[in-house]
Amino acid sequence: MTTDTMNTEPAVDETAQMRLWHRVSQFLFREARLLDEWRLREWYDEMLTDDIRYLVPATDVRGEPADALGLIDDNAARLRQRIEQILNGEVWCENPRSRTNRMISNVEIVADRGTHLDVAANVVVYRFGHGRSDCYVGKFRLELAVEGESFRVRRRLVVLDHESLYEHGKLSIIL
Amino acid sequence: MTIELQRPVDGQIVFDDPENLSFRVDRRAYTDDDVAAQEITKIFDRCWLYVGHESEVPELGSYVSRDVGGRPVVMARGSDGVIRVLANSCPHRGALICSQSTGQARSFRCPYHDWTFSNQGDLVGVPLPDGYGPGFRKSDFGLARHRSDSYRGFVFATFDPEQPLTLTEHLAGATEYLDLIADQSEVGMEVIQGAQLHGARANWKLMMENSVDIYHFRALHKRYVSYIESLGTMAPRRRGGFARALGRGHGANELVPAAARPLAYWTPMFPPEVRSRMEATAARFVERFGAERAQRITGANRALMIFPNLMIIDAIGITIRKIDPVSAGQMSITSVALAPQDEDPDIRELRKSHYLTFLGPAGFATPDDIEIIESCQRGYLNRTLRHSDLSRGMAKEVPETTDELPAREFWRQWDRLMHDDDREEGHHLTRRAERQGGQRR
Ligand code: FES
Ligand SMILES: [Fe+2]
Repeated sequence: MTTDTMNTEPAVDETAQMRLWHRVSQFLFREARLLDEWRLREWYDEMLTDDIRYLVPATDVRGEPADALGLIDDNAARLRQRIEQILNGEVWCENPRSRTNRMISNVEIVADRGTHLDVAANVVVYRFGHGRSDCYVGKFRLELAVEGESFRVRRRLVVLDHESLYEHGKLSIIL
Repeated sequence: MTIELQRPVDGQIVFDDPENLSFRVDRRAYTDDDVAAQEITKIFDRCWLYVGHESEVPELGSYVSRDVGGRPVVMARGSDGVIRVLANSCPHRGALICSQSTGQARSFRCPYHDWTFSNQGDLVGVPLPDGYGPGFRKSDFGLARHRSDSYRGFVFATFDPEQPLTLTEHLAGATEYLDLIADQSEVGMEVIQGAQLHGARANWKLMMENSVDIYHFRALHKRYVSYIESLGTMAPRRRGGFARALGRGHGANELVPAAARPLAYWTPMFPPEVRSRMEATAARFVERFGAERAQRITGANRALMIFPNLMIIDAIGITIRKIDPVSAGQMSITSVALAPQDEDPDIRELRKSHYLTFLGPAGFATPDDIEIIESCQRGYLNRTLRHSDLSRGMAKEVPETTDELPAREFWRQWDRLMHDDDREEGHHLTRRAERQGGQRR
């Protein structure tokens, strides 16, 4: 723990860091709530940058090799499309909509780069629908653009810890 | 349990009646545990089964380990350059000799008692060898080598030493379609890293049927159709094309693309910068293969079903989908993408990116396929309805892609194997035979 900067910084900075951490956590909790409440357009409009990238790598590839195929690689347009499809009932496996509950924990500001933050967190998403219950366990690796007192997500990488999605079959919600 | 396995499935499952243009399958084929158990012994223990692609073991010593037909195997390129399919089970007392899914090794060491095997399967090291008697010979304890062979880079194995067919004989008419895929690169095709590993709570045959069924495209995949239309590519309402039975249970569809093809078929869903390059590629294919074949390779989509459990879909990307039964009501699915080794990096990016919109457990189409076959499986719980109907296109001279001919070809082979009829005449079912009902047992 000797390298822990929080212990060696002056107290005033510690308070600032705690405030920042609190704001980041609140931001992530709000995001989870909007997604759980299927307020996807609001989430898209208010919480993401125009150049958002939403990525879920394949479960058999650790790390993030650039040349590997993943499960999801959405830019803003494709993510918007995903949202509209889910909301307008065209997605048969999300109609009726599944019920979800997202648990966000271990929120950590990995780097404060002034204009943006690198944030890590753990996420568990429970999903219930069409007679099934599924649980997705993963790690958030986020880049948050700083906008005054708040943020927007620019990069949303969700690394699943599952060895495969054998139990789930599919991933039809936004993690 | 063994006694159970010997018990024949009660009554008829496949009702094939070409005279009355009727084809029905008893839904117990999807739900019955005895049927599921017999499929293992009669189909998966005997057929040629897909193992992997040669590009997955590119170097001397490269290997992958996976389950094939429910059996753990290692596909390894030995130091001699030969690709072998080895049993992933120690001849000593059974432990897996390889627990990494992929890697490169000179030898495999069993973690239990440290027996060591070369990457060709020979036993090369036994600790404390003086514990064994004078008759103990290492050559008797190599890893079991399964009979294997490859066709244009696709590696298959069979667990039946008496399997009378060579791989090429087994593939029958499917070789024509494998050629159309393998010919997409002069230097060779390769599997892209990153497998989509998922499954479904449904019988494995439902995924086979679904993968070769174009009839459902506009109904179930409305959202994908609206997506590609939003990108400026109009999916034709009637896709034309044709369906074919390729013999020995294999079948295929071939049709006009609904979207771009990253090899050499540009539509506005791709950026304008790559258009002239893709057209130049198409022109090179015309030089190499002539206009007609080049058009088939670059300008048509196809879905190839290889009995019993392999699908290769060549459309917005190429996916190799291996479908494995786990129980009557559960399957596992392994999908990888195949691409030309010599593809330009920016086109490779487009390929991967658009592949993901359609295919895979989080694409804009596959999740609905998974959900709908799970829905079928649940629907079968209402046993009042005993049969499913697969008769579309039986009356037609040339069945269309929205017909169910490939599924019928699958079921006819399934029926032959389940009744041990496969070693007799009549593998190559023709249209004429379908009309005359030449096949009924
Ligand atoms: S089980 Fe492999 S060495 Fe004993
Ligand atoms: Fe489909």
